[in-house]
Amino acid sequence: MATTVHNFKVVLLGKGCVGKTSIVLRYAEDKFNNDHLSTIQASFLNKKLNIDGKRVNLAIWDTAGQEQFHALGPLYYRSSNGAIIVYDITDEDSLVKVKSWVKELRKMLGSDVSLVIVGNKTDLEKDRHVNLEEAETYASKVGALHWQTSAKRNEGIEEMFLTLIDKMLQREREIEDLQVTRQGSNHRKNVVVVDDEQVENQTKSCCGSNT
Amino acid sequence: MNSFKQPTLRINQADLMCKNGCGYFSNADWDGYCSKCHRSALEKERQKKLSSKPQKMSGFTKFEEKKRQQTDKKNKLIKTPVFRKTASGRDSFRSERQPEAIHNPEADRLTVEYLKTYVLPEQVNKDFFKKISYLYSMIVTEMDNNKPIEEVAELAQKYYINYSTRLNGHPLYADIDPNVRAEMLEFFEKFVMSSAYEYIFCPPTTNDEEKDLIIQNRIRKLSWVNAYHLDCCISETSMEVRELVYTAITDLIGLDSVKAPQEKLACVVRCCQSVVEILKSCQEGPVSADEFLPALIFVVLKANPARLKSNILYITRFCNDSRLMQGEPGYYFTNLCCAVSFIENLTAESLSMNSEQFTSYMSGDSNVISTWESALFACEGMHQLTQHLSLMKDLTERTATIKSRAEELREKMQSLKDEIKSKVATVIEKNPLELKPPNELQLKTPERTHPALREDEGEQASNFYTYNLQNLSVKIDQKSKFKLDLVADQKPVEGGSGNSLTLINYDIDVSDLSNESDLTPEKRDDRCLLDMKEESPEARLPPPLEPTAHYSGFAKQGYQIPSIPCNTGNKNSDTYKNTTNNGN
Repeated sequence: MATTVHNFKVVLLGKGCVGKTSIVLRYAEDKFNNDHLSTIQASFLNKKLNIDGKRVNLAIWDTAGQEQFHALGPLYYRSSNGAIIVYDITDEDSLVKVKSWVKELRKMLGSDVSLVIVGNKTDLEKDRHVNLEEAETYASKVGALHWQTSAKRNEGIEEMFLTLIDKMLQREREIEDLQVTRQGSNHRKNVVVVDDEQVENQTKSCCGSNT
Repeated sequence: MNSFKQPTLRINQADLMCKNGCGYFSNADWDGYCSKCHRSALEKERQKKLSSKPQKMSGFTKFEEKKRQQTDKKNKLIKTPVFRKTASGRDSFRSERQPEAIHNPEADRLTVEYLKTYVLPEQVNKDFFKKISYLYSMIVTEMDNNKPIEEVAELAQKYYINYSTRLNGHPLYADIDPNVRAEMLEFFEKFVMSSAYEYIFCPPTTNDEEKDLIIQNRIRKLSWVNAYHLDCCISETSMEVRELVYTAITDLIGLDSVKAPQEKLACVVRCCQSVVEILKSCQEGPVSADEFLPALIFVVLKANPARLKSNILYITRFCNDSRLMQGEPGYYFTNLCCAVSFIENLTAESLSMNSEQFTSYMSGDSNVISTWESALFACEGMHQLTQHLSLMKDLTERTATIKSRAEELREKMQSLKDEIKSKVATVIEKNPLELKPPNELQLKTPERTHPALREDEGEQASNFYTYNLQNLSVKIDQKSKFKLDLVADQKPVEGGSGNSLTLINYDIDVSDLSNESDLTPEKRDDRCLLDMKEESPEARLPPPLEPTAHYSGFAKQGYQIPSIPCNTGNKNSDTYKNTTNNGN
């Protein structure tokens, strides 16, 4: 198990100008130095991580946010393990867009995909137009995580990605276990839950040492 | 003839269809069948023939088969495996021998490439080729049985996984480096797909070809779309950008010229990387998907690659799924699919214009003078013009530098001249002994004439000069009046336009003069010497006889002239004697 590489595909969705690309760039920054920032191809990013001895290969796909490309979404998020749906806290309309994306994703990929709803641009708190509580309740309702980030100040981005990876690992295990339970062993599931908590704790410490 | 033939061609559409009624068009060469039905009909016939023939004739049938392979190149590949499987009961034995069955220029080329790249044990190679031919024959058989391409693709995908597990699990491959194993899997895919390309690319069982034509026509109709419509920042007029767009287009068009799925995928990646380059040169900062996708759409629209849809479908079907869905190639391929899908479903809204405008553009009622069109396609001359303009610009720049350099040089020369003038002036001021130079010059003149006369010994004039100059300098050095010499030499500079030239002229003039002056006595000497040697030439006798009176006069003068130098004087006196002898 330790040698297997977990390949995860994560799509970045959201209305144009909410800061999808900035988030990817921020996340890539600990790997690339600031001076080299312009050489990074921001639309596609492959990141290799080691989380709790598990080798994770994270492929982040940026998508075009313009309205006219909305219909192309299914091509992008096909067979993806996770989706980061970004909205701008100063733009109420962007949250409406998030809702339509979530609906679409759940319809197409079901519960296999791990969702994170991200409220970006917390540095513009004074111009906030989106109610935090409303967004959080919506996220929990659809079974998605909710994070607030600021790509400008580099706040919450690393954590957001790590929780998403955890969720995807957990989901992967659940799917594996589901296959096992189908084969007949019912006791596995309980063990898994305990495992998850351990992983989550260890992950944070591990990543701290990694970076 | 024509009037008879044309109606039949036009009216009886059914005649053009395959006899089997499968819906495809027939061909006279195929006995009124479509290619597929003709192939199967041929096979049936051959099977019948074979079953009727006794087994010992196998040698002949093989020969016959060879003959047919030559005549019917297209069919040869399927026939062999199919025939073997059905005709002989020894399926397992036959399939073992099938590695030799793939005879196809592509396969041969790849075999050579494989053997060159990988040095692996014989057993491994054997197994590798066995698996290849197995999958190959399977695909060909399935395609021949008109199985839907999706099923064949699934079969191939399963086989990829199958072979991958075999590569990583079988003891035969245990000693091979994991990287080489991954390469082998890739090569496996490449080999099979390239060999079976004719069967699986745009197969007749699908309507891929129609789709190709639809998208091609659609792109052609959308030729008026420019970067502004797509809201992307490509500056169509910039030279640099246009060159990059050219590269991207070439990469995309290259998609159709390679065969293996991964090679096609590599073309897509190259094209997309060029697109990223375009965007980098058009804007600041990193390239995001918001800008990338419109730019890619623009490139696809301008490239209008041949058989675009077929290529995309082929990659989707036969490229190893594990590779297609991951990594950068997967991302770029998805983007290409998105671009194509966008083009297919493009409406007025997606170009943010009203529907009336859109329809008028689409129908060709109103023409847009797109900068791209005029600069790139409609007017290739424009492109050349810009190239020439840049060339001209380069040339004018060069001439400007040459001019400025020339001016610089002139100034330098002027300053040098002035410097020399001033130096000369200071020297003259410092040395008021201007009386001496004339004396020295007077001294020099006899010295110059003196060695010039020595030329009778047959030495060259240049030697003289070097000798002369050496003598001069030595003498001046001895006198330690170098400055005075400078004055004498620099004098012509003041009068002339360039110092060096006048100096040379001065030298040449002197040498010429000296030569001329030297020639006259020489000639005289020669003649006299010749006369001496010949002793008594009868032909020469009359002239001296006639001007005896002149000669005597001349001899008197000659006698007087050489009296100044002693050396020549002796000789001249000899000549005088000779002439007097001749006269006698």
